[in-house]
Amino acid sequence: MRALLVLCAALLAGCATQNAAPPGAQVPAERLQQTVIAGQTTKAQLLAAFGPTKNVRFDSGFEAWVYQSPAGSGQFAEFVVLIDPAGVVAKTRTRAPAPAR
Amino acid sequence: MSGLFAAAGLPAHAAGQSTVTVKSTRDPVDKSYRKMIRGMERFERERAFAPNASLRFQLLPRLPNVDMRGITLRVAGDTVSVPVPVDDNNFFVLPRNGQALQEDAAVLASRKTASMTWRARIETPGVPAGMRRLGDLRLECRVGKEAGLVSNSSPLFGWISDALDSPEGVCTSPDGNYLFFAEHPIFAVTLRAGERVETLPFSMLYAGGDQTPDMLPFCDCQVLLDRTYYVPLWDASWPDDTLVEFTYMVDPPAGVTP
Repeated sequence: MRALLVLCAALLAGCATQNAAPPGAQVPAERLQQTVIAGQTTKAQLLAAFGPTKNVRFDSGFEAWVYQSPAGSGQFAEFVVLIDPAGVVAKTRTRAPAPAR
Repeated sequence: MSGLFAAAGLPAHAAGQSTVTVKSTRDPVDKSYRKMIRGMERFERERAFAPNASLRFQLLPRLPNVDMRGITLRVAGDTVSVPVPVDDNNFFVLPRNGQALQEDAAVLASRKTASMTWRARIETPGVPAGMRRLGDLRLECRVGKEAGLVSNSSPLFGWISDALDSPEGVCTSPDGNYLFFAEHPIFAVTLRAGERVETLPFSMLYAGGDQTPDMLPFCDCQVLLDRTYYVPLWDASWPDDTLVEFTYMVDPPAGVTP
């Protein structure tokens, strides 16, 4: 039974790895900050400028898109964009790379 | 059994069986009263996470079309039936009843069981409005897992995940996957402990951000995806008094507490 559980866990982990979405397109922070303006930039403009990236679409019609900005030493800042149901950027935020501990 | 005969178009007595009155039926997704009481006992044992907090349980939507208004709840055993008051926000306190324990009663709601999910709600007085306290969430995870509240479902793998996850595994591991739900759709979640302030990574929002439409029906976050977040329950560098702050997708009107 234990061996079966371990096998099944390994299978499940394999499935999870296979289905994992990419962490997001890599775009320099300066380009994101200059290009993406809340209340103005559209989803189509984001796609045209940076291509597809990791995103989540919600039943409400909102979408959250995330980009990775190189921050040196192999670290990345996150730039998250909230797109409203009309397809316009509603909010943006930047998450600094987490400090190494 | 009589239902089986009825389904076959035969009255029970026609097959030489006596009629049995079934007062309640146990759906496999209904909550076990014994398990929920075990969750309450765990709350009492591990109050150090949240010494001044109180424990309630909450019903949450699991399917898009479920009507969450006017839900009634009862503890149902073979002979005992105890009504449980549910407030307007679908919170309730589970009463202790020795007879129900003895009869291995179920906790039944007036909705199809697969249409809702359940969570423990542990709140320390004095936490600023619209925020949560990390120690409260740590204890919610332990109580919720002990009480068997999470209503994930997978026809193929459900029994395996049930066998593999435990409160210790889920609530103390970086790979733990206990989902919390905010009051409104979230855009960011930030931890604050004294001078230390960190925003959670995108991967800790929206059930990891990896749920595809064909996976969502198996997650009890199905209709709450935009309110869903993980917190680093396992990370002891964040004290129990850490505050969890939410930035919502839609800002509340000025002067309104989120």
